[in-house]
Amino acid sequence: MAAAAYMSMGEAHRRINEYLNRFSDAVSYQDGKSLSGLLSVSSNSAALLSLADALNTFQDANRVIRQSDKYSQYADILVPIFRALQSYRLRKLVDSYMAFEKASNAFVQEFRNWESAWALEALYVIAYEIRILAEMADVELSSMGKTPEKLKGAGSFLMKVFGVLAGKGTKRVGALYVTCQLFKIYFKLGTVNLCRSVIRSIETARIFDFEEFPVRDKVTYMYYTGRLEVYNENFPAADHKLSYALTHCTARKEANIRMILKYLIPVKLSIGILPGPLLLEKFNLNEYSDIVLALKRGDLRLLRHALQEHEDRFLRSGVYLVLEKLELQVYQRLVKKIYIIQKQRDPNKAHQIKLDVIVNALKWLEMDMDLDEVECIMSILIYKNLVKGYFAHKSKVVVLSKQDPFPKLNGKPVQS
Amino acid sequence: MATEQAKPATEEAKIDLFEDDDEFEEFEIDQEWENKEEGKDLTQQWEDDWDDDDVNDDFSLQLRRELESNTDKNEAKST
Repeated sequence: MAAAAYMSMGEAHRRINEYLNRFSDAVSYQDGKSLSGLLSVSSNSAALLSLADALNTFQDANRVIRQSDKYSQYADILVPIFRALQSYRLRKLVDSYMAFEKASNAFVQEFRNWESAWALEALYVIAYEIRILAEMADVELSSMGKTPEKLKGAGSFLMKVFGVLAGKGTKRVGALYVTCQLFKIYFKLGTVNLCRSVIRSIETARIFDFEEFPVRDKVTYMYYTGRLEVYNENFPAADHKLSYALTHCTARKEANIRMILKYLIPVKLSIGILPGPLLLEKFNLNEYSDIVLALKRGDLRLLRHALQEHEDRFLRSGVYLVLEKLELQVYQRLVKKIYIIQKQRDPNKAHQIKLDVIVNALKWLEMDMDLDEVECIMSILIYKNLVKGYFAHKSKVVVLSKQDPFPKLNGKPVQS
Repeated sequence: MATEQAKPATEEAKIDLFEDDDEFEEFEIDQEWENKEEGKDLTQQWEDDWDDDDVNDDFSLQLRRELESNTDKNEAKST
């Protein structure tokens, strides 16, 4: 603020005029890139900061706008954008958000009337800024003891923008960017069910091929819809979407690759595919290494410990239930190991496993189960086609099929 | 009166502030996009044929000892 204090009235006036000129030029020359730079309120760019200082020095900028025909036609955008910049500089974030929303509404009104999609890049900035400013405003509201509601408001605004883009024509290519901003809002607010209508609109559109959207938006879209499929326990679809995001994400965004893997790994595990040790190491996902080891070994105790140790983390990201269900695969692996060990001792009797033997193995793994409970587990394994064979109730023996007694999942989820 | 009401509201409002720990980072609008190789690299990092018959790892060896000690006991009992 010290700089603002020393700024002369004349200097302030000059800076304000310069901004207005740039704005007006960008619109007349249909220069989307320049225009977008003028709208990035939260970017803290030197030009915008000094403009904000100028506005706080020279309080009558609105008159400058209204006096000139060139600027006054965009007064509905310019007056509130000035206010948004000023308030942002003074850290009055609720004010800034409300002014920015006003400017954005006016901007979208103009955008709708422009025939071509030249201003799409500027619209992206609006869609991004409104979310970021709303988040900041909500923090301020909550610190004042008021209900944070601006992010929800930003969501409604972006739904309108989506409507403007989602029709046919060249502007449609921007619809996925807005969708991704909406996803970020809905995931933050915990209202992910609101994603559904946007998804339907994107996925049922025959007039627009998904592949024509920009790759950055496709990757973001597949990440979020992949997460939704994880919550719905639709693992083949989750695998498809998250794998798409992984393959197409630029290597420069390691943090994003890590986030994709955080969800893709439990999905892959649930269909019987393990991540190589390099993946876990490189992206610091060591919370999964014991789980992978438990699957490889058939070590139920290790699985339980790994789930306990990282319970908070897994619950927060919503993958806990997915991981918990790996237990059946670990049982399968344990029984298979027992079978192989028996076979090495006595090949003729190997396909008969006494329940006693399993009870003992489980006891060794600190799981106290009686015969009935183990019988129950074995029936589930047989029912879900993780074990092929039948159960001889009288002699308390599982008789394994001689052919492929432990079917692999081969990329398909365990039967439900 | 206004101050009296403000207090409980603060606590409530704080609970209302949501978070998504895994919010995807923004790509730059003109993010450079290459390195297809890396993407391929990552997709090759998966093992679908890990479910082998190898029982020579430590865990399996311990399991074997456990199973054998129990059969020995049982056999001792029955003779």
